[in-house]
Order: sequence, then C-alpha cells, then structure tokens
Amino acid sequence: MSRWRTRLLVIAPPVAVIAATLLAWWLVVRIFEVPAYLLPAPGAVLDAAWSDRERLGWGAVSTAISATSGFAVAAVVGVTIGSVLGLSRFLERGFYPLTLLLQMVPLIALAPIIVVWLGYGTPAVITSAAIVAVFPVIANTLGGMRSIDRELEEVFTLARAGAASRWWRLRLPAAIPSIVTGLRIAAGLAVIGAIVGEFVSAYAGPRAPLGMVIVAAMRDFRTDLMFGAIGLAAIVGFLLFGIVNLGGWLLLRRWHASAREPSR
Amino acid sequence: MHWSSSILRAAATSVAASLLLGCGDGGTTADGRTKVAVQLNWVPEPEFGGFWQAELDGEFAKVGLDVQLISGGPGVPAAQLVASGKAAFGVVSGPELLSINEQGASLVAIFATYQGDPTAIMVHESSPWRTLAELWASDATLACESSLPFVIMLNRTHGGSRLKFVGHSTGLADFVNDPRLAKQCFVFAEPVTLELQGIRTRVFPARESGFDPYTAVVVTSRRYLDENPGTCRAMVLALRRGWVRYLEDPAAANAAMTKLNPAMSLEAMNLAAEKQRFLVEDETTRAHAVGWMTSDRWRTLAEQMISLEKLKAVPSTLEGDVFWQPPVAPPLGGDAG
Repeated sequence: MSRWRTRLLVIAPPVAVIAATLLAWWLVVRIFEVPAYLLPAPGAVLDAAWSDRERLGWGAVSTAISATSGFAVAAVVGVTIGSVLGLSRFLERGFYPLTLLLQMVPLIALAPIIVVWLGYGTPAVITSAAIVAVFPVIANTLGGMRSIDRELEEVFTLARAGAASRWWRLRLPAAIPSIVTGLRIAAGLAVIGAIVGEFVSAYAGPRAPLGMVIVAAMRDFRTDLMFGAIGLAAIVGFLLFGIVNLGGWLLLRRWHASAREPSR
Repeated sequence: MHWSSSILRAAATSVAASLLLGCGDGGTTADGRTKVAVQLNWVPEPEFGGFWQAELDGEFAKVGLDVQLISGGPGVPAAQLVASGKAAFGVVSGPELLSINEQGASLVAIFATYQGDPTAIMVHESSPWRTLAELWASDATLACESSLPFVIMLNRTHGGSRLKFVGHSTGLADFVNDPRLAKQCFVFAEPVTLELQGIRTRVFPARESGFDPYTAVVVTSRRYLDENPGTCRAMVLALRRGWVRYLEDPAAANAAMTKLNPAMSLEAMNLAAEKQRFLVEDETTRAHAVGWMTSDRWRTLAEQMISLEKLKAVPSTLEGDVFWQPPVAPPLGGDAG
C-alpha cells in the first residue's frame, strides 16, 4: 500500500466523523429551528469565534499555559507518588485511598478554598489543573510498577542490585508504557481542571483565560461565543494530548508494541 | 413543501416540543387550580419574600394557581428555562431579559420585584477606600464579573481602572480572609451576613454608576402569555398581595425561607428584608402597585445597554412586547387558565 494511501486511511475516519457530526448539528438546528441562545449553528459559532478572535486567542494561550503547567506538576508529582507507593504494599495500602480522594473530590467545590489558600491568579488555576490530572498518573505509574515480569525481578535480585538501580533500570522502564497512558489521560483532564479553576480563581480582563470568557459569554447569553471558547479549550486539550502522544511514541517506538505501526 | 419533508418537520417539531416542554407546567389540580412552576434565579432569600408570603397566605390558591417555587443557585439558567418552556415563569434581571430576547428568545416581564439594582461592591471597613471613585483609582482585587454593565460604566466614568478583576464566587471565605479584597454583593445580603459575624463592611451600591435596571423581574414567554393571559394576570395579582403583606410583616415568610436556606439565618433574613424595602417600594410602586414597570425605565435601560455595546437596538414596542402588566385591582373571579 502506498504511503499516501496509508496516511489517508489514518486521517480520513476522524475527518469524516467530525464532518458528519457538524452536518448533523447543523441539520438539528435547521430542522428544529433551535434558537441561537439554546444551540447556535456551527457557522454561527465560527462567526462568533472569528469576531472575538483576539479575546479567544489570548484566552487559549492563557489556558494552555495553566493547563500545561498543571499537567507538568501532575506528571512529576504523580510519577513520584506512584513510584514511592510501588516500593511497598504497606505504603500503597496506607496512601492509595488518600490519592483516590483527589479523584473523588468535586473540583468545583474545592476551587474556592484553593483561592483562600493560594489567592487569586495563575497558581490557583495550575493547582486546580494538577489536582484533577494527578490521579491517573499515580494510578498508572503504580500499575506499571506492579506489573513487572517476576523473572526480571529475580535477575536483579541475583545481581544484588540496589533499590535505586532496581528502580532506574527495571521498574521505571517497565512502567513507562503505563505512565504514558496515564499522562495521555492527564493531558485532557488538566485542561478541564484549568477551566474549572479559571471559573473561580482567574483574573478577568482583555487577556482573560477561556474559563472567564465562558462565564462572561454565558451571562450575556452569547451561546455562540461560549461554544467557540469551549471548542478552543478542546483544541488546547487535543494539542496537549498530541504532544504527550508524540513524546510517548518517541520514548516507546524502538521497543514497545503499542508504539509500532498500527495494523491495517 | 414535499409531503415527506412535512412529515419530517412535524415529527421533528413534536420531538423538540416534548424535549423542550417535557418537564414543565400545565395541568390542573383536583380542585381545578392551574399548576405552574416559577424558576427562581437564587436560593430562598428576602429577594423572594413576596413569593413565599403569597404561598403562606394562600394568595396563589385564591387566584386559582398551584405554584411550585423552584429554588435557583449559581448559574441556574432561569431565562433559558422560561424561554424554552420548561418553566412558565422565572426570575431574571432586566438586562438579562433584553439580552436573551436579542438572541432570539421572547420573554416578557410581568412583575419587577426590585425597582432598582441591589448589586453593590463591599470592602472591609478597615480598608482605605471610602468611595467607589477611590476604589476605582486603586489597584485592589475586585471579585466581580468585569463584563457587568455597571462595571463598564464605572470604567468609562473613571477613565479605566487599575483594579484586578477576578471571578465572582458565591462564598465569603475569600473576602473574610483578605482585607484588601473588594467583592460584588447584594446590598442587603452578604454585608448583613458578615455584620452578624462581627465583620464590618463598607458598601458601594452599583446604582451609583448610573446603571440602575429593574432586577428580580418575573418573566414568562410570549407564547405562554398569549395562551394563558388569565394565569399571568393571576400570578401578578397574587405577587402584589404577597409583597404588600411581606412588607408589612416578613417574619413568617422569612421563617419559611430560612428552613429552605439554612445558610442565611432568620436574623439575617429579617435584617435583609428591612434593608431591601427601598428597592421594592418607591414613588412609582406607591402610585400604582408593587412590581410596577414603566416604558421610560425599560427604554432607559435599553439605551444604556446600547451605549455599553450590550444591546444592538431598543425594542420597537416596549409595553406589550418587553413588559406586560394587568391594571391595578381588576376584578378577580377565578380567572386563572
């Protein structure tokens, strides 16, 4: 099969699904005569986004910075905690429920108290993003550390490898595919966390992040602009996800089945 | 139109109608009263005192209504719920009504609880800011929606602002914790709650900006009004009576509301009820009736919103299209439905 045809087969399915979704959306608005304040047509959303492109552009940049920072914090903290918990069943039993709590606590309820602790502004937004994103990293790191081949463990025991060497040479490499999976999930969640954090703790103004744009658009019944901002937030999430995916592929392509050429 | 597209259109419309109108109003009780829902835009507070008073006094029942008061909260889309037919009545602000109508909705105001805007900005009494002008000249942090019309108006009046705007959360912990934080509030709500906790505030009413719209406005949809004028008339009459009684003695309604909203104590409710009186009663309401509206006020609001780029045009007809109200003291006689 030619290279172009292969690429077409990769690109065509999502493009076709997105096009069909937009068409269905447009038809629903047209046939049901849905008013714009309930559901604007795709064209109206694009018009609104273009009219407010500067505001949305700055908003996307601001949200991307917060989400990426929150993701980075979640990645470092998540891999560290997952690794530490992976060292001992005792630690895991003690602390894992606490990490689970991060997943269960509704961020929208926690966000105001984060403001009280950290004050308004970017640090509070980054913290919100990190809180939402950290759990899948912990869980997947821990899962990866726990799924090491027993025979490889025995080889390291025979070689009398120390704890640090065992972690660096065995556990971490073995856990990387799981960690990458966790990071992929965390990438999308970091954007959600950042947007929710921005609802409560971000500064407003001409360069306000997307969360603030969404709040203002909702209040003014600008559903078209709100959808534009939500779409842009999704694009920020896709970009972050894409970067993580690319990083994971670069890390794994030489030795792991998940990063090899997809089957046709 | 081709028959198949007619069928498709009819089927689609019925599906849409069932989706949009599925949970709402209509029907009658065993004793023949018309069932209606009122979607409030906030939790039970003295802002809705007249509603609960009317319920307690049986005013709704007297005019043939069985009213369900649905509590609101942060972000409750009361205007959209009424516009889409999910609630017969709702409570919104005057600017919200004009904005959503420009986006294709068709809401009609039938009762303006507040003749002005109760929104205010509060600062700690220990803060250095003694006027709105002083606050606007400072670099303080203001927890307030920066796109609100009164904020834009104040920015124009004071030639911009160095204030740092942040989102307006509903809790008070951030304000209590930060003596330099200014926060959006209702003149008679948050400052009263804080005062009872021993935290003294200085309050700057937003109406000082010159933007002073009708607030806590009861609305219905054009369609509902056209199809149920008697029900709408009955609702207004019951609310007028409820509010008159509440202004005389708010104790019973406040006691009922504090059970539904324990976060606001009875003492705070009573204080707030007294402090909001000037917004419910003014020369216009004394000359006509509580909740009364005038074309001039709606026109002023629309013109101000146009100047603030929040609206494109003044609605061509105000009385009838934007607001509707029955005359004072018409004969009753079971006119609901």
